[in-house]
Amino acid sequence: MRPQILFPAKKCTLGCPVLDQFLAGGVPCGSITELSGESGSGKTQLALQLLLSAQLPLSLGGLASSSLYLHSEPPYPFRRFEQLSKAFYLSYHQVFDSVECVCNNVLVQELDSADHLFDVLLKLDSMLAEDSRKTMPIRLVVIDSIAALFRSEFENTPFDLRRRANLFFKISSKLKLIAMKYGVAVLVTNQVVDVMRSSGDLNALRIGNFDSLFSSGRRVCPALGISWASCVNSRLFLSMNEEIVGNVTDDGDDNLLCRRTKREMHVVFAPHLPSSSREYVINREGVFGVRGQIETSVSGTSFKSDTSKNPTFLLCDKDYSCGNM
Amino acid sequence: MEVSRLAISASTRAKLISAGYTSLSSLSTLSPFNLATDIKIPEKEADEILKLASHNGKLDNTKGTQAVSGGQTAWDMLKEDEGLRCITTSCSALDNILGGGINCKEVTEIGGVPGIGKTQLGIQLAINVQIPHEHGGLAAKAIYIDTEGSFMVERALQIAEACLSDYNDLPRRGCNANQLKRQPKDLLENIYYFRVCSYTEQIALINYLGKFIKEHKEVKIVIVDSITFHFRQDFENMALRTRLLSELALKLMKLANEFKLAVVLLNQVTTKYTEGAVHLTLALGDSWSHACTNRIILHWNGNERYAYIDKSPTLQSASAPYSVTGKGIRDSVSDHKRVKLM
Repeated sequence: MRPQILFPAKKCTLGCPVLDQFLAGGVPCGSITELSGESGSGKTQLALQLLLSAQLPLSLGGLASSSLYLHSEPPYPFRRFEQLSKAFYLSYHQVFDSVECVCNNVLVQELDSADHLFDVLLKLDSMLAEDSRKTMPIRLVVIDSIAALFRSEFENTPFDLRRRANLFFKISSKLKLIAMKYGVAVLVTNQVVDVMRSSGDLNALRIGNFDSLFSSGRRVCPALGISWASCVNSRLFLSMNEEIVGNVTDDGDDNLLCRRTKREMHVVFAPHLPSSSREYVINREGVFGVRGQIETSVSGTSFKSDTSKNPTFLLCDKDYSCGNM
Repeated sequence: MEVSRLAISASTRAKLISAGYTSLSSLSTLSPFNLATDIKIPEKEADEILKLASHNGKLDNTKGTQAVSGGQTAWDMLKEDEGLRCITTSCSALDNILGGGINCKEVTEIGGVPGIGKTQLGIQLAINVQIPHEHGGLAAKAIYIDTEGSFMVERALQIAEACLSDYNDLPRRGCNANQLKRQPKDLLENIYYFRVCSYTEQIALINYLGKFIKEHKEVKIVIVDSITFHFRQDFENMALRTRLLSELALKLMKLANEFKLAVVLLNQVTTKYTEGAVHLTLALGDSWSHACTNRIILHWNGNERYAYIDKSPTLQSASAPYSVTGKGIRDSVSDHKRVKLM
């Protein structure tokens, strides 16, 4: 056994310079990054975008690799994926031959249970060992979502919870092994659960930089509890909150109130990132960060919206509805 | 008294002498196992030699202060302990309650919820052990055993840079203008980083550490981030797990003692069911909680991070705020204000 030589982890671009800057280069290889948020917050959008941008050459911040998309929440969003890949091809047409070629580098596998996921990971390990010489080896694994695999199968009894936690560690250990051995970036999406007001709710326990996380005006926290939280290296949280922009029109009609959804990405914890938040929008071409001051909070104070918004981008960026309408 | 006068076979005597054991005093601190592996003889035989040597040694030793050969008096230990330096955490409040920092020759367990800053503290200590003597450091090296993959090189560079600029700004006692300025990269080279991917690997590595440290005597801290991760899966047999873990702890404690280095084990938290209620506790169970010398729990208190000494034979139980900043672990901001007000 020899000590390893230390060099900074490679990062996979998210396909947006603002978000890349926010995450210090993108999603790191060799560790597990979790993306949690309520349904419709844009987890899958971001995941799909990442699948595409991993194909970019190293010079453009990508991994020059294929990517594997493991999804457990049917149906597979292929229409949206096609839309994104067209947009992606248009912006990088000098790098890729065709849209088809772009889509071909994304491998898709459906998951039906946690055990199935483990089987797939075992296969992946042997597969990666073989295809390390290929021109486009798999260097990105996206699991969308981990929560769906675990939320139905297990009951809320101490015995089942222990069995579930055991499986978390088994899966994350395998994922981390693959991530380390082959320099793979792993992104896992997670759902959120509501936090009850009653005392003794373990979900109310503070994990990470923020005292409590809010989305759509509800207090939420990423699903699967504290054992899963110990399994991931970094945790990002996507929030969406309705916000009123502009003044009420003079006749006072409610319908004329200008509302929009403010989406933000927060670093809940990450070994390499400070506690911070960044606004983003989802439009036809994908997910993009909004340029502006990063709201850095000292050891996790509030991350409420600031009122000085630049109204110009609202005109050009129509909020893209992502599957929940 | 010479080894050559011991009543042992000529071949064994030759083995002893060729291995460098010429005097009885050189044998006095050895264990039978060490001797057996060193000169490749059965353990039983080694035991016989040592018995003989200690018997002859006693006749020889007129002072007779040591009841057991190789033993140390409490006074000697205290003297030795005073000569050891602590490794600062870079947070003065935390150093205060720890009596100066992380102690050498001790195993310290640090646990807390995800995102509280365990890994940050681990990286900070790996950098701080390298602070030169003239700034009150140990000028030593670190071993970092990463079981979770959370060690981020870019973060270590950041912390190293902040640490270097901190002590470069200070006036130097032994002013040496010619001394080359150290770069953050140099500090990184002094961290021996091991990434382990299973519990068997973890056990094997810790067994091998003694040999590694013998070759790298400058190592003064061993950080395991985290001791827990691989032990939380695949164990149907909890008794086996407990046994393996206490064996690990024992080995680490021995390393700490033998090489006068600090061992820091990071631990996760888990939920525990007692009488229907659920509460948080450090992972690995009750028997593990006996394994480490010191136990520090990191927790949130409102918007501040706090460290709490849960168990220590020498330190008072106390808690202190700290914060995780861009530069690494530092004093809590509000604590700073409090000091200024006073």
